[in-house]
Amino acid sequence: AAMPVPVPAGVLRLPRGPEGSSRGFSPTSPRFQALQGGDVAAQGVRAALRQRYLRGLAAARGRPTRFCLREGVWVDAVFGAADVDAVAFQVDALRTPLGVQAAALLRCADVLAYSFLL
Amino acid sequence: MNDWQRKSPLDWETYVNKMVKVAAIEKHEYEGWVLTIDPVSASIVLATFLENEKVSISVVLGHAVQEVEILKEGDDEMKQRLSCIFAPEESKAYSPEELEKRKNDLKTWLETNHIPVTEQGELGRTLCVAGVLTIDPPYSPEECSSSNEIILSRVQGLIQGYLEKQQ
Repeated sequence: AAMPVPVPAGVLRLPRGPEGSSRGFSPTSPRFQALQGGDVAAQGVRAALRQRYLRGLAAARGRPTRFCLREGVWVDAVFGAADVDAVAFQVDALRTPLGVQAAALLRCADVLAYSFLL
Repeated sequence: MNDWQRKSPLDWETYVNKMVKVAAIEKHEYEGWVLTIDPVSASIVLATFLENEKVSISVVLGHAVQEVEILKEGDDEMKQRLSCIFAPEESKAYSPEELEKRKNDLKTWLETNHIPVTEQGELGRTLCVAGVLTIDPPYSPEECSSSNEIILSRVQGLIQGYLEKQQ
């Protein structure tokens, strides 16, 4: 008897990490250099700055946010999440001229700035 | 990578708690109090206080920053105000004395149950449990952070039970 053909599993394609298919640190990135040790004082400051930033991201979650893109284009959406390597933002209810996208990814390279109210 | 992104964390730190004007690409300009600069993307997080007690937060992505000009320094009151902006809503419901008491009560209870706990962070506001989990004000289960999910869920459960007994 023939084996049933396996149903292919859905694949969720996420933004690429800095090294293409891997999710590791790029060896030349400042982040990896910091991981290697070196200036202890700088690392402490790095950690404090990053922690405040992460709390800022947490505060942004669920809030209506305006994203300023290139060429004078801006879009409104609800802030969802940011990834660890600053490659993309995930947003909900993205308002575009073609309608509202329930969920979308905005590439960090395309975003100049974003703002929300607390 | 631009010059701004190449700065060291100690350099970036000099802009925190200052009122700045950020010149970005495509002739955009942003002004506000610097809350922090993300070391990964060099993004600048700015706060602007609006008339209706609301705060507008703008984040300028590091790759878009051309120039940052310091306009003025924040005084101690402003520094205090800025450090609380991203604090969870619940911690704003308590006075500093109440938060201190909550912290000490929880710390004592953990020690009584033979769980190692220390205080850390600026102002000693954060509790550190067994060196692997931190608890921020107002010291509820939601304020626990750890990279170990199992410890996180155990400690959250303990704190939940402790707070329920307190009621």
